[in-house]
Amino acid sequence: MPNQSAELNRVFQALTDPTRRAVIERLGGGSATTSELARPFDMALPSFTQHLGVLEDCGLVASRKEGRVRTYRLVPQPLESAEHWMAEQLRIWERRLDRLDEHLLKMKDKNR
Amino acid sequence: MTDSTHQFDPERDLLLERVVDVSPDLVWRAWTEPEQLKQWFTPRPWQTTGCEIDLRPGGRFVTVMRSPEGEDHRNEGCYLEVVPGQRLTWTSALAPGYRPNSGSNIGDDADLPLTARISIEPAGSGTKYTALVLHANPADRQRHKEMGFHDGWGTALDQLVEWAKQQG
Repeated sequence: MPNQSAELNRVFQALTDPTRRAVIERLGGGSATTSELARPFDMALPSFTQHLGVLEDCGLVASRKEGRVRTYRLVPQPLESAEHWMAEQLRIWERRLDRLDEHLLKMKDKNR
Repeated sequence: MTDSTHQFDPERDLLLERVVDVSPDLVWRAWTEPEQLKQWFTPRPWQTTGCEIDLRPGGRFVTVMRSPEGEDHRNEGCYLEVVPGQRLTWTSALAPGYRPNSGSNIGDDADLPLTARISIEPAGSGTKYTALVLHANPADRQRHKEMGFHDGWGTALDQLVEWAKQQG
């Protein structure tokens, strides 16, 4: 749990920046190279690649280098963390109520 | 938090319903008597070693859970609604006396705060009870922390999650 919420925080942190959000949305349409991603932005390439680094560090994107060209793709997993977290909460509560029901029947026996 | 003020949101809320062959009074006692609650609230090998209940709106609801390694975790919240035998609502977002929790209680490593409502009603010879658990949205929480968050981002995230799902 703690690790998961730290991971979610990193993801949301990465997504606070408009450039990085635009990159994510672009990658939603398919993989792209560094220069393809940088094209729409009026920004020095080193600054832009820093943004890509942040996205890669938190696991939202992954890259592969072939020769001089680095290609980025979106990684769905971090975005699914929120859903996994909810599934975990449901499991915790299901089990808690299982124990409660068991305990209630014991209380009933004692009260007889 | 009555039904008219809350709309169930399947994205971040849980709704569990149980029917059990005991009287409503026992269900109420299991939730409101520390000695009862301690026996079932925490999954083994964890234990509930402490429980404080001040059964009135604003009153404390504290549980202390001990890990198998012997480390204690204190969860402090307060009741919002107490209708004897029928309805019990509490939140971990507020400390006793309705004072907002802050600092370590809502640090990065803490569980997200929750509000829970237990409703109890007779069903035949037994009892039906429901547990409604409301969570903050992790995205909302982060939005409050990040002043640079832009409007419209919610839509982008929705689209993103939708896309992510399709990638399976």
